[in-house]
Amino acid sequence: MIALIDTETSNLRSVINAFERVGLALTVSSNTEDVANASAIILPGVGAFERGMAGLNKFGLVDVLKKRVGEDGVPLIGICLGMQLLAETSRENGSHDGLGLIKGEVIRLQPVEAGYPVPNMGWCDTKATERGVLFPDSSATHSFYFVHGYHVECADQGDVAATINYGGQTVTASIERNNIFGAQFHPEKSQDDGLSLLSGFATYLREKGQ
Amino acid sequence: MKRPRLIPVILLKNGLIVRSQLFSIHQIIGNPISTIQRLSNWNVDELILLDISEDDHHDMRRDDLAMRYDGTKTLDVLAQIANVCFMPLAMGGRIRTLDDIRDRLAAGADKCVINTSAVENPEFISEAAREFGSQCIVVSIDVLRHENDHLEVFTKGGSEATGLDPVDWARRAEELGAGEILINSIDRDGSGWGYDVDLIKSVTDALSVPVIACGGVGAYEHLAPGIIGGGADAIAAANIFHFFELSYPNAKKTCLDAGLPMRDVGLDSKWFPRQPVYDLARRDREIAERLEKAQSPPANSNSISVGKSVSWCSNCLYPTINAAPMEFDDDGVCMGCRMAEMKTDIPATEWDRRKQILIDIIEANRCPEGSRHDCIIPVSGGKDSYFQTHFIKNVLGYNPLLVTYYGNNYSAVGRRNLYRMKEVFGIDHIIYQPGVDLLQKLNRLGFIVMGDMNYHGHMGICTVPMRTAVQHKIPVVIWGEHGYADLCGQYSMNDFVEWSYRNRLEHYCRGFEWNYFVGLEGITAQDMACYQYPSDQEMFDVGLRGLHLSNYTYWEANAHTKLVMEEYGWESSDMPFERTYRTASNLDDIHENGMHDYLKYIKLGYGRCTDHASKDVRAGLMSRGQAVGLIRKHDHVKSSDLARWLEYTGMSEEEFDTIADTFRDPRVWRRENNQWIKGNPWDVFADDGTAK
Repeated sequence: MIALIDTETSNLRSVINAFERVGLALTVSSNTEDVANASAIILPGVGAFERGMAGLNKFGLVDVLKKRVGEDGVPLIGICLGMQLLAETSRENGSHDGLGLIKGEVIRLQPVEAGYPVPNMGWCDTKATERGVLFPDSSATHSFYFVHGYHVECADQGDVAATINYGGQTVTASIERNNIFGAQFHPEKSQDDGLSLLSGFATYLREKGQ
Repeated sequence: MKRPRLIPVILLKNGLIVRSQLFSIHQIIGNPISTIQRLSNWNVDELILLDISEDDHHDMRRDDLAMRYDGTKTLDVLAQIANVCFMPLAMGGRIRTLDDIRDRLAAGADKCVINTSAVENPEFISEAAREFGSQCIVVSIDVLRHENDHLEVFTKGGSEATGLDPVDWARRAEELGAGEILINSIDRDGSGWGYDVDLIKSVTDALSVPVIACGGVGAYEHLAPGIIGGGADAIAAANIFHFFELSYPNAKKTCLDAGLPMRDVGLDSKWFPRQPVYDLARRDREIAERLEKAQSPPANSNSISVGKSVSWCSNCLYPTINAAPMEFDDDGVCMGCRMAEMKTDIPATEWDRRKQILIDIIEANRCPEGSRHDCIIPVSGGKDSYFQTHFIKNVLGYNPLLVTYYGNNYSAVGRRNLYRMKEVFGIDHIIYQPGVDLLQKLNRLGFIVMGDMNYHGHMGICTVPMRTAVQHKIPVVIWGEHGYADLCGQYSMNDFVEWSYRNRLEHYCRGFEWNYFVGLEGITAQDMACYQYPSDQEMFDVGLRGLHLSNYTYWEANAHTKLVMEEYGWESSDMPFERTYRTASNLDDIHENGMHDYLKYIKLGYGRCTDHASKDVRAGLMSRGQAVGLIRKHDHVKSSDLARWLEYTGMSEEEFDTIADTFRDPRVWRRENNQWIKGNPWDVFADDGTAK
């Protein structure tokens, strides 16, 4: 069972439709038992960091996620806010603890060039750092749809799977560390490029026998 | 680098997409699902869906279509749209509370667009931004440039003045937490004059959040100035994406050519193939259910069981429940009448200009070196076919190739007219004749699946010429009249609407693509080859365009009939039709004016005589009272071509009747004392055509 975590702040319908299109059925849940038994976990999220963590806390999901993903190696992909929640802390509206599955901190975008508003809403080209699951061909250019005012600054640059250049600032677009994946953009809303990426993730899960 | 966005705006009104002019005239384009599916074929950057319905009620208006809604509420429609929409979706219309936003996000929207409620209660912007994040809240601002150049914000669909200055209001909305501003120009809406670039620039200069420009685009070239001159982050348009084939890819290409660093043109998406994927188990179940329903006697009911009952246009006699995409204005006048008035008002100089536009298009795409024909004319051999060929060959002097889909239902007169074209015009003619065994199957299946034995004909006529065009690499196909533009004012004359795949599938084929029939009665994909439309890439590579001649020369069917009879010896029907008083239409198919049309009466309570009489009332050729008399005489007639069709398909009359009854629209028909009863125009109009 692949669990899609419902923290009541997400565009669940779009995520379900997109995974269905690439051949994966998701089970929507905010139940600790379901998450503990899941063979893979999708962590979506839209909105503010504090509210997203509050959602996970409300359903008591923080510990089970840390254990299953951090210790037992269950694959997880965080999407948009869901990727930011993986970090240790966020500086959005104060300072808030995250899941700490990825070392690093969520900070506000600071484009240096004029004409780059925050939040960043729109299509940006990603640059993949090395060959991985989400970006199997690091030389190819893909465009994805971004909606964010913050991004994850990874402590370990090896966790960064792809970046964008937003107004002169290098911004983490995707992370990949062993069984932990993240997309700052919305693959479920990025048409062909987004669905091809999710399809690659689906293949990875199948190959892992999940 | 950030890529600028090109955003189609879909206006949804009570379940259907409308074309809008000055925020007040609305013409029905079609259903949102098939349009959004089409946009998904093309890797569209983002979509804005604005529900401009006054009440929360949506339906498809017909139930013989492949597609239907699972509910009648905005949220039901949105959930169905989300199934085919994998691009970012901003949803607007009647959003007043945080729950309204929450519901829309849960149903598949990524952002919400607020307009009137933001002006009435600006705090709503900050509450919404706090709850869902600024990125989620788009404030839409409708602006009217008054005649003295004064700019003012309007709300409630452009109907209520607010006294607000657009720049002040946009700045305030940004301070309150709006993540994006959509600027729409009321006076440019539907005008085709291009954006109000000064307005957009004044707003973008004052803001730091992204601005989306909208309002006035009538040509692809109008798009880029919204960014280059106006400084917008994204450019949007509504109407234009409904007018042309491959509209979004071609609009994108024009923007890229203008130097905007947009994402590339996308065609033939890997994840969203154009061809619908049908649930075959559901298909088989639905067919079985219909046949089963036909076996059981219909239940009596004393009243119309659903929705509003039928009424009629207050000018012609077009019914409010009908087969065509028809909208009525606040005075109860149909768009067919409104557009007919506008067409009559076009002066001769404008027709000269239009003729020159046509010549320019053909010249740019013709073949002077002679390896192919200059253009294709799809012909049935009817009066319109003769007129099109007359105009292109003998008035303009080009060398067209004639292409015919032969559906095997020709009348003797119709066949003579068809075969004579090569002699009369001295011109090449390809006639494609599918095997009769296949046609018999498709006659039966079309009738059982959607109550239309001539489904194959609509699909074949729409497809074979376009396939031939791609095979011969001929970029221009000249169709005659745009049927719905004439009958129900679906488009305006300034749209220069062209042929499109979506229009073919949704309106001519009711959403049933050729592959729906594969596997039924042993039909194979190969059997259906002639109904398979060229791919988007093939059309893009050839630059294929289907023009409607009625956009370029004044179209008056009665005058055309006279001309082709006198100049080319074209023959009208040698005997009167049973179901209409005209004698010069549909000679290519004896069922088209016969049992095919009788089924429209069974479904929706009116027939071709209503269509013809309504057109003649609009043209001033008959009074409304005369029209009512003709409708009373013809609309209900069960015509004698039924005998041939039953023999052709091996069906009994009883089977035919009971299956036909399953298609009766419950908004039109009720069953009393084992009789089918409906409202009639003569119940409500006196002999002189005025209301009783």
